Amino acid sequence: MAVLTVTNLSKTFNLGTARESRILDDISFEVSGQTFVSIVGPSGCGKSTLLNIISGVEEHTSGDITLTSDAGGPARMGYVFQDPRLLPWRSVMKNMMYVQDDQSRDTVARAERYLDMVGLKKNADFYPGQLSGGMQQRVGIARAFAVEPDLLLMDEPFSHLDAITARGLREQLQDIWAQSKKTVVFVTHDVVEAVELSDRIIVLQPGGLIYEDITIDLPRPRRQSDKAVATLQADVLARLETLKAMAAAEPVAEPVA
Amino acid sequence: MTDQLVMGPDTGPSTPAAPDREAAARRTARGRRWRRTAVLALGWVAIYAVWEATSWWFGSRLLPRPHEVLQSAIEIIETGNFVGDFSASVLKTFAGFGVAALVGAPIGYAMGRSRYWRAFFHDGVTIAGTIPAIVYAVMSLIVFGLSNLGPILAVALVSAPYVALNVAEGIRGVDNQLITMSEAFGRTPRQIRREVLVPTIVPFVFAAIRMCFAVAWKVEALTEVFGGRSGVGFQIRTEYQLYDISAVLAWMVLFIAFMLVIERLVLAKAESRLLAWRPEERGAAL
Ligand SMILES: Nc1ncnc2c1ncn2[C@@H]1O[C@H](COP(=O)(O)OP(=O)(O)OP(=O)(O)O)[C@@H](O)[C@H]1O
Ligand SMILES: [Mg+2]
Repeated sequence: MAVLTVTNLSKTFNLGTARESRILDDISFEVSGQTFVSIVGPSGCGKSTLLNIISGVEEHTSGDITLTSDAGGPARMGYVFQDPRLLPWRSVMKNMMYVQDDQSRDTVARAERYLDMVGLKKNADFYPGQLSGGMQQRVGIARAFAVEPDLLLMDEPFSHLDAITARGLREQLQDIWAQSKKTVVFVTHDVVEAVELSDRIIVLQPGGLIYEDITIDLPRPRRQSDKAVATLQADVLARLETLKAMAAAEPVAEPVA
Repeated sequence: MTDQLVMGPDTGPSTPAAPDREAAARRTARGRRWRRTAVLALGWVAIYAVWEATSWWFGSRLLPRPHEVLQSAIEIIETGNFVGDFSASVLKTFAGFGVAALVGAPIGYAMGRSRYWRAFFHDGVTIAGTIPAIVYAVMSLIVFGLSNLGPILAVALVSAPYVALNVAEGIRGVDNQLITMSEAFGRTPRQIRREVLVPTIVPFVFAAIRMCFAVAWKVEALTEVFGGRSGVGFQIRTEYQLYDISAVLAWMVLFIAFMLVIERLVLAKAESRLLAWRPEERGAAL
């Protein structure tokens, strides 16, 4: 588990001469312990950018981020990207081992276990180019799980998969999360998924502000047939619709001359 | 390759008529293969005829007839002294490549990674790449005189600019998302270099080597002709001084054949092995 504190975070991209676009605007939140946080919001509102900043691969413009493991040391991180991001010249297994700090037998066994979990044990020796897009994405998921991170960042990990595979992986994600005590930050545009998985949903609005921070206190496993679940889903969905309407109504910002 | 292209469209749809069409396509493909072989043979016959005619016209003292050259070639092979000279030439060519890689790859790496180094090296490397190979051969002779180092230097000078430019191109084409991924998982710069950057540039280095190879062994032989102490070029000079034109030609033909074999078999094999992960190369790897 990890302690993640984001304070007054802002991000602007420089678009060349005297033009910049503000993607994240004064965002603050804190996540710690065995929490599953979803970040939802319309396309282009800065969700991936936020994850990239948390993971440290992208700079932020102002504000603070601190990340430690709950024991106090540096947090180990796993990242499932929106696309697979595998090394095309390494086999599936070598890709799994590339992100591991040690190459011991135990680690190999663990990597194999997670590969098995996503149903790709048979494909350990394949090159990524020999797998379908969905299979590659599953390798990406297994790779992030296999580092057994304190903080797991996931960027729409299931959006490229068929419904049945996605459901299976969603269940496994919940099991792993329940057993292995991780802090998860999960980006999705699928409200149903967010309500099913999360303790908390942060809704981002266009322009990169936090529109709402919803705590969900429903028992698990959550079923579609459960009335409280369905109500909440409809509720969050309605709010997102409002946001989309807002984004559409907003005049396109003219660059300052 | 061509056969696949011919058969490709017909193997897809599995309509009831497909077996017939497949068989027909196979027949067509066989026919084409046969015709291609025939045309190829015809080409060789034409070369032979032109050669015979020319040597008849100029006299076989000036241009020996094909069978005389063949006889010389057989003699060279039978006496066995071609092995030493061939391996000397090949070793020098590859030593030259080694030097070119040692010098060219870091320059290319710097050019690919930083705009400043790119600006610094760009014109120099481009000019070095356009200087004719013969100039490098002469320069190497001036520097090293009668020595084995001359051919090595000539090959290195010819190849290094290609290696540098190709590596630069490769580095600039590196997938930034893979670097981002590596950083997110806390990989060190050294690991990123080894697992992301180097594999990215391998195909480019190979392209450079294959491109250079065709020029390099000619430059190597040429330099040997003027200043070598061993190797095929050296033998050509010796035979020339003895005025044995058919032996000169025999060495040349043997060397060309040998280098083509190296290029087709050794380089192509090594390449398809190293690049087995590429989808196009899959068939060759499995
Ligand atoms: N390098 C960049 N330079 C300029 N603008 C960028 C850059 N990267 C992202 N952006 C902009 O930042 C905004 C947010 O992008 P981001 O990828 O974070 O969106 P997202 O919320 O993840 O969207 P989606 O749901 O479609 O994945 C977009 O408007 C995009 O145009
Ligand atoms: Mg995104």
